[in-house]
Amino acid sequence: MKQSKRNDVVVMQTEQANEQQYLTFQLGQEMFAVGILHIREIIEYGNLTTVPLMPDFVSGVINLRGSVVPVIDLSIRFSRGQSQLSRRTCIVILEVDSAVSCAADSGSEVSALQEVGIIVDAVSEVLEIAPKDIEPAPTFGTRLRAEFIAGMGKVDGAFVILLNVQKALNVEEMAKLASVVEPLEQSHYG
Amino acid sequence: MNMELALQTFFDESRELLTDMERILLQLESFPGDAELRNALFRCVHTVKGSAGIFGFQHVVSFTHVVENVLDRLRTEEIHLSQLLADLLLRCRDHISLLVDIADPEDAVRLASASQRLLTELGPFHSVTPPQTPQAVVADSHQQHQWRLSVQIAADALRFGMDPLGFIGYLSRLGQLQVTTSSQAVPCLAELEPESCYLSFELALTTDASEALIKEAFELGNDLYQVQLECVQSAQLAKLSAGPPNDSSPELLARTIDKDAGQAHRRKPPAQHFRVQADKLDRLINLVGELVIASASVSLNAGHSGDAVSRESAANLNLLVEDIRNSSLELRMVAIGETFQRFQRVVRDLSAEIGKDIQLDITGAETELDKTVVEKIGDPLMHLVRNACDHGIELPAVRQQKGKLAQGLVQLNAYHESGAIVIEVNDDGNGLNRQKILAKAKEKHLLTGDGHLSDSEVFNLIFEPGFSTVEQVTNLSGRGVGMDVVKRNIEALRGSVELISPGTLGGTTFRIRLPLTLAIIDGFLARVGDATYVVPLDLVVECTELPKALCNADVVSTSHYINLRDEVLPIILLREHFMQPGTSGRRQNIIVVRHGAHKVGLVVDELLGEQQTVIKPLSGIFSHVKGLSGSTILGSGQVSLILDVPALLQQVSQREDSLDRSNNRHVRAPLAAC
Repeated sequence: MKQSKRNDVVVMQTEQANEQQYLTFQLGQEMFAVGILHIREIIEYGNLTTVPLMPDFVSGVINLRGSVVPVIDLSIRFSRGQSQLSRRTCIVILEVDSAVSCAADSGSEVSALQEVGIIVDAVSEVLEIAPKDIEPAPTFGTRLRAEFIAGMGKVDGAFVILLNVQKALNVEEMAKLASVVEPLEQSHYG
Repeated sequence: MNMELALQTFFDESRELLTDMERILLQLESFPGDAELRNALFRCVHTVKGSAGIFGFQHVVSFTHVVENVLDRLRTEEIHLSQLLADLLLRCRDHISLLVDIADPEDAVRLASASQRLLTELGPFHSVTPPQTPQAVVADSHQQHQWRLSVQIAADALRFGMDPLGFIGYLSRLGQLQVTTSSQAVPCLAELEPESCYLSFELALTTDASEALIKEAFELGNDLYQVQLECVQSAQLAKLSAGPPNDSSPELLARTIDKDAGQAHRRKPPAQHFRVQADKLDRLINLVGELVIASASVSLNAGHSGDAVSRESAANLNLLVEDIRNSSLELRMVAIGETFQRFQRVVRDLSAEIGKDIQLDITGAETELDKTVVEKIGDPLMHLVRNACDHGIELPAVRQQKGKLAQGLVQLNAYHESGAIVIEVNDDGNGLNRQKILAKAKEKHLLTGDGHLSDSEVFNLIFEPGFSTVEQVTNLSGRGVGMDVVKRNIEALRGSVELISPGTLGGTTFRIRLPLTLAIIDGFLARVGDATYVVPLDLVVECTELPKALCNADVVSTSHYINLRDEVLPIILLREHFMQPGTSGRRQNIIVVRHGAHKVGLVVDELLGEQQTVIKPLSGIFSHVKGLSGSTILGSGQVSLILDVPALLQQVSQREDSLDRSNNRHVRAPLAAC
């Protein structure tokens, strides 16, 4: 018992240290940041398979060492137009908590860590941003849904947008968006 | 000995035995004269009791003991299996399974009253003999014998989990027991090994139990116990307490339980099965999946290299991998019979409850399918069987009015058909009432408009959530939850369910079609534009070129069927269906697929041939996408999507009525702004 408590404390301390670390990346002209605890790995862009009948922001799926991972074009998701592919474009694999009501379990909620890839224009660096350097998100002005933003981090006098990964890449919401595509498409027939 | 493991084995074994017990009981009802069945029944309970004793689950032992007594009397034909007794024994079986599951004796208190009730009901069957032989009882109770037992216990006994208290407890229930413990063998403290047993016992037992019953106390550890058993007259009881046994006594029945004979008796036929943990098997199958992908990549590269030798080795490798795949998947295949068997009991209990006489017929019990599928099909089947009994089969009086046999028939049938397993639930009841369903559907606003609906469309309405035509809700079914869940669960297994009425037996037939396995399939690869799709090979009937005259996109999009050897073949243009950008090439091909009775052509750009494919589930984001059942990884490392042909067909046929073709089909709706 005691042992495990002590371990918990150690874990918490390292987690705190990690919580202050962010990976910054570029999307168009803007800088965004994601807490490094969410990040699984960063890979080169390529070998994407398109999934039909999906909204544009779902770029497709990739093979990540044997598991099939969906890839989101963050730029489209944030209404900033399609990402322009360049030499520095890469896919950041994130881990997101997903609670999708799943037909296999008669509608029960299944909660699991899910891997999701996002396309970014360039990855910059891992920064440490102290909590005191994080400002709350402005209500408007970022051209982004307020709930996607966890805060604004001050780095060298400029702001980077700290993303709320859980909200911005909410699997359930994206699945719902994906399901709306079909009725629309059917309406063209009828 | 690892107790944890042993305990797990106990639970597994008990569960199996109890399942057997149920099956045997039900069989015995039909063949009451079968002595072998009666013996088997006794053995089931006896073994459960014995193993429970080893682990010291007194609550299990004390209850099972009574059941065992009753079964022993059944075995020796002292009593007969009446309907009442069968019912009672089935309920006892359920109770034992509850007792075994809780395992913790302290929790057993909760079940004590239930135990007591059942024991009281069992009373007439074991304490009082049936009325036709009242004298036997009297005689029996007079035939009390004095038994003298001297028990030597091997030093290792405790290490093998044998607790001498076990047999003492058992014997004390048979009658009056006096125990004298001899501790002569106990060494001095320095030499004492706490895990060894140094004690031996002298027991005096006054009981009416038979010699065999007494010996059973030692059966479980018969190579660890040395038992001398002798029968003494009451007069000699005094002598017994006075001195060592008198070997020359004429009443001496003393016999050391024959070790070898005992072992031979217990030796089972050579093991044909052994237990493997399911997750080990799953890991193996995952690895085989990776192996399949790797070998696909090897053949791809060998093909590119153009080197004949490496191409040949790759082909050999492929063959072997296919064999390995098939045999490892076979490991997970189980016969569906076990699942079907459960329903014997369900139908039996149900028919008693609702006052109907229903027989369950099982055919195709040996049909095999993947264990993971079997586990998940139980609940949907349960729904269907209950529905068949409750809604399908009429009351006996009604049946006789209609000129049918009073006894209703529900049939479970399973068979293989083109790479899938088909499970049918048939009943010879009254079938579905089209008008009633239509009226109900309108009432529930499930239907819009008065468009003419085919029978199958009407019948499929009952799969809609919240649909039930029964006016009265019973506690079995009729609440209208269920059928939609059934359908959803089956679809989650990549299966489909259809309803036919009147069915094979005149009533309703539910036909469930399930894939044999959820892990690896043979796929047929086809290219449409940049995308590669996989069609499950089992569904593919043939491939043919799309007639040149039809390749012109305009021609095809006006009429979505072609003439295939004088047969009408509806076609689906995959490019159009998936709204893929780009135009089709000059030459197109058709993959003719079969799903149930339907045959459909899928139009693709290029055929790439067959390949083993490992099914990888698609992420939750794609959970609403229809027409795709999963994805797989090709030899090149590319991800390819697996077509869900049944869903695809359903989608297209639903749309058929409203095929008002306008050509302003947008590619991908502009939803990103959401």
